[in-house]
Amino acid sequence: MAQLFTPAATTLFRVAIVLMGLGAVSAGVLAYGWARSGSTWNVGKPAAQPIPFRHDLHSGSLGIDCRYCHSTVERAADAGMPSAQTCMSCHSQVWVGASVLDPVRSSFILGQPIQWASVHRLPDHAYFHHAVHVTKGVGCETCHGRVDQTPKTVKTQTMSMGWCLDCHRNPVPHLRPREAVFAMGYEPHGRDLPEDVRTFYQEASRRLTSCNTCHR
Amino acid sequence: MRKGAPFDLDAVRTHLATEEGARLWRSLEELSDAPEVRRYIEAEFPDIVQAASIDRRTLLRLMSASLALGGLAACNGSEAGKNAPLLSQSRNMPGYTPGVPLTVATSMPLNGYGRGVLVRTQEGRPIKVEGNPLHPASLGATDVFAQAEILSLYDPDRSDTPLQNGAPRSWEELTNFIRPVRNELVVGEGRGLHILMPPTSSPTLHRLMAQARQLFPFAQWHLFSPVDDDNRRIAATAVFGRDLDFVYDLTQADIIVTLGGDLFAEEPGHLRYAADYQTRRRMQDRPLPGLYAVEARLSLVGARADQRIPLRPRDFEDFVQVLAAALGVGSAPSSAPHPSVSKLADELRRAGARSIVVAGREQPARVHALVHAINARLGAFGTTIRAIDPVRPVSADTGTLVDLAEAIESGGVSRLVVLGGNPVYTAPADIDLASLVRRVPLSLHLGQHRDETAVVCQWHIPELHPLESWGDLRAFDGTVGLRQPVAMPLKPGLSQEEFLGLLAGQGPDGRALVQATWHEAWGEGFEERWARSLEGGVIEGSASPLVALTDRFDVAAELEARTNSAGIDVVFAPDPSVWDGSYANNGWLQELPKPLTKLVWGNAALIAPETAAIFGLSSGDAIDLTVEGRAIRAPVWILPGHAPGAVTLTLGYGRQRAGRIGNGIGFDAYAVRPSRQPWIASGEIRKPGERIPLISTQQHHSLQGRDIVRVVAPGQSAVGESPEHSSLYPEWPYEGHAWGMAIDLDACIGCNACVIACQAENNIAVVGPEEVAKGREMHWLRVDRYHAGDPANPGTYFQPVPCMHCEKAPCEVVCPVNATVHSSEGLNDMVYNRCIGTRTCSNNCPYKVRRFNFLDYQGTDYTASPDAMNPQVTVRDRGVMEKCTYCVQRIGAARADARVEDRPLRDGEVTTACQQSCPTQAIVFGDVNDPGSAVSRLKQSPRNYALLGNLNTKPRTTYLARVEPSRENG
Repeated sequence: MAQLFTPAATTLFRVAIVLMGLGAVSAGVLAYGWARSGSTWNVGKPAAQPIPFRHDLHSGSLGIDCRYCHSTVERAADAGMPSAQTCMSCHSQVWVGASVLDPVRSSFILGQPIQWASVHRLPDHAYFHHAVHVTKGVGCETCHGRVDQTPKTVKTQTMSMGWCLDCHRNPVPHLRPREAVFAMGYEPHGRDLPEDVRTFYQEASRRLTSCNTCHR
Repeated sequence: MRKGAPFDLDAVRTHLATEEGARLWRSLEELSDAPEVRRYIEAEFPDIVQAASIDRRTLLRLMSASLALGGLAACNGSEAGKNAPLLSQSRNMPGYTPGVPLTVATSMPLNGYGRGVLVRTQEGRPIKVEGNPLHPASLGATDVFAQAEILSLYDPDRSDTPLQNGAPRSWEELTNFIRPVRNELVVGEGRGLHILMPPTSSPTLHRLMAQARQLFPFAQWHLFSPVDDDNRRIAATAVFGRDLDFVYDLTQADIIVTLGGDLFAEEPGHLRYAADYQTRRRMQDRPLPGLYAVEARLSLVGARADQRIPLRPRDFEDFVQVLAAALGVGSAPSSAPHPSVSKLADELRRAGARSIVVAGREQPARVHALVHAINARLGAFGTTIRAIDPVRPVSADTGTLVDLAEAIESGGVSRLVVLGGNPVYTAPADIDLASLVRRVPLSLHLGQHRDETAVVCQWHIPELHPLESWGDLRAFDGTVGLRQPVAMPLKPGLSQEEFLGLLAGQGPDGRALVQATWHEAWGEGFEERWARSLEGGVIEGSASPLVALTDRFDVAAELEARTNSAGIDVVFAPDPSVWDGSYANNGWLQELPKPLTKLVWGNAALIAPETAAIFGLSSGDAIDLTVEGRAIRAPVWILPGHAPGAVTLTLGYGRQRAGRIGNGIGFDAYAVRPSRQPWIASGEIRKPGERIPLISTQQHHSLQGRDIVRVVAPGQSAVGESPEHSSLYPEWPYEGHAWGMAIDLDACIGCNACVIACQAENNIAVVGPEEVAKGREMHWLRVDRYHAGDPANPGTYFQPVPCMHCEKAPCEVVCPVNATVHSSEGLNDMVYNRCIGTRTCSNNCPYKVRRFNFLDYQGTDYTASPDAMNPQVTVRDRGVMEKCTYCVQRIGAARADARVEDRPLRDGEVTTACQQSCPTQAIVFGDVNDPGSAVSRLKQSPRNYALLGNLNTKPRTTYLARVEPSRENG
């Protein structure tokens, strides 16, 4: 009986094994890169909104404080969305006839809520508390980026669990003094903190990384 | 017990005699060493072995299919942003922050009496009921019915449109029909109009009834409740010349004797009485109070009693008469007295005015009259018993259901209004209300469901749930609590107040009707008082004043004596889960193991072990029970401690039109209930040789080990052993808080409030009867019931068992995916997203507190509406292990509040759901790292012990041993 495999078959088989191995490794590398890339987490992708609201205008140019609209950010889990009444406190004076503001006016008159597309929505099993973060020195900018320069609201961070843990494992470099929490473009993270706060967070990292800190 | 094998009492007794010491047993089957019981001790889910008879190839096919489909399921194209939009409200609402729950004080009715509650609402949706600490009937605790009202509110079977002969009609059509009828009645001054409603304590309803009486002077009112207090009313009227209610102060009592009934479960003030009894037990400066329960069926108060005397219902009159004679009231009957009477009389005489004798509502009027005489002789009136005007007054010209039946019979009823309740179902068997109502030319029913009464009435009008409407209710002591809506009506409807308001020409605005009542009562300063009463839930100082008594105690002889016929005594009792049947469509309550039988999804005829031995019956055997010529077939359940010669039937089952959950479950005890003797009748038992399956959880999650429930004498220590074992695992460091729990078995009365509270708080699924039968109920907290001693009159112990949150948790080390981990504060966290469902953790848990979602329980008919879910707790899916979390969401919320306010957490700030609902404060939760915290102080008690402590799991949940004075003698 003739040989089933030619001498070249061995070489071919070896090459195939190497290629398959390389393929598996590169698939892994690609998957790793894909899972961590910003686009997978919709970073930088704006959502279709009912009103072309511009943070860069309101927060940046006009200098309105974050808390004027997101009024419960210092005391509740939700930062709070401005009511149509809050919008109308200015827009009953300016841009009175603008058609882009029709949804605000109809909401105000008809009593129906405005439905915004959420850009930063976390999964249901993650319980995030704005007030705790804000009152303990996590700046708005740390998670939401330079809102004062963004025309359309977009994610600037992945908001993945790994990203949360980056900070929860060692919060100090990301914290700001209380007066700088709402500031934009604040640079020297963590350095201006008092010493007792720094030691507190160094000890608290075990508590901050317990599962039940964010999941219930 | 082998299926169908008759119960052998002698064998059980011989078995017990060979045991050393007081052995605890869960069931009679366990005592006779049935193989069924061993299965439950050896495996947590014994039925899983049968379910998994799959050959290798099928298994491989299933595995590859699930892998492929699992991959597909991951391809989720939904965009979170669109599915869950961010909402900008139209207007700013002062006092309301989106996402932050709002708590509203209101009152909930049970049998016409009010219990104060605080309802937590999330975005206008009620999600949880808590007790109102300011309300005298609650003191911050709740019962199972109040907790479960949330599910009743969202019941999809609640009726939503008016019906005319079963056909839906618009509200306009209803109005067009009703208006001429009402005008005609006004002209006729109410001739031919009969109104049937349950008794109520509501001042507004009474005001509206009075006004309707003026408008319709010839209208006849009838009051009917299946759980009536007629015998009490007859006795009070005979003895004191007027109807009275009695309020007991258990904090002052040294000796409490109950004759039937259930002071801790069925009285209007039951939560308060349980709390007061425990307060009295905790008084360090006075010796422990004595609690004696004379009863036919084992009840919660009997389980807690120092001495229980099982007594056949027909012997109660003689017993009380002998007791009264021993105390110098009246003369003793000729029959031989019960051996315990003289001891009881001595105890009562010694305690004097510091004693209470209470008779249950099922006892005949003569017993109540004698009890009044005994209490008066002891001087209890004024010290431990307060007489007040009846909280649910009944005016003299009010008729009964029997009167109504006679009036219809004689053709005197042309217009019938059934205002709430479900009398066609709850009427005694000899009143065929269904056909009688059909004979009335025009009948109208106001009710929450299209129930048995709705279908026989020509018109049915949807009634609002008490959480959706305005009203007011008096508590057991007369204190008024306002009832305010905590949600917009989920379905259109009218409340009883609004209906009566329309009838009396006062308009349909419930709020205005209630305000008018109190405006009349208060006059000046109304606005301020109204606001304060709404906020607190209680009208201050509205408790009924003490009534001066003018008595003639020798009337007992004048009252009709019981005529004893041959046969077995048949006692009727409200059901611990569905009460009179009004909660039959509530999945939480249906699946709640009844305190003593641990039966779920059904009822049974309860009999004594002796009776079972005589008739050759075992639990689950059917009997044909005949009372006054009417018969029903029911399964029996052998209840240890039940009096021989009697059978107890609980009401509320066998409903045909309860809804998708409650239909056709159990048997209908009303079908044999006679109107002449609605509580205690005589009957005959026949054995048809059939079996009716019953589902009981008493064997589920059986623990193996010694000293599960410990009992000590006062002042004695619970710990005999438990030397510190060394462990291979490293110690956990705790810098901050370390959460722990202490459960006082001396305080636990087994009322189950904690179980339902946990279910409501933690979105726990209802699994349905078939799944419970397989041992797959999902309750995170169970209450184990143990008996000790002779089955004829055993001791009864309750033990709530949540997750122990062990320091050296056996579950943590065996999880292959690290889905159950130790938190920095000592909680045993369950990470649902990591769980792949190997169930190894559950297998390794000695306490059997882990629950597994075998099926998609959140997607069945039994599931609560998504609106009823607590948004702070993850809703678990199929294939995921879950268990008690120590209410980690509450810890998180309290910690967030403290951190935001930049202060440390205070002791008592975190309360778990079970702790909050407990009437006797048996459960205490807190920081064990803080030596001053309440839980730390309890854990210092000599009574403190760890469940199965010899396993060295170092549980964070520990128990405080029960205290029993009789243990001193041996």
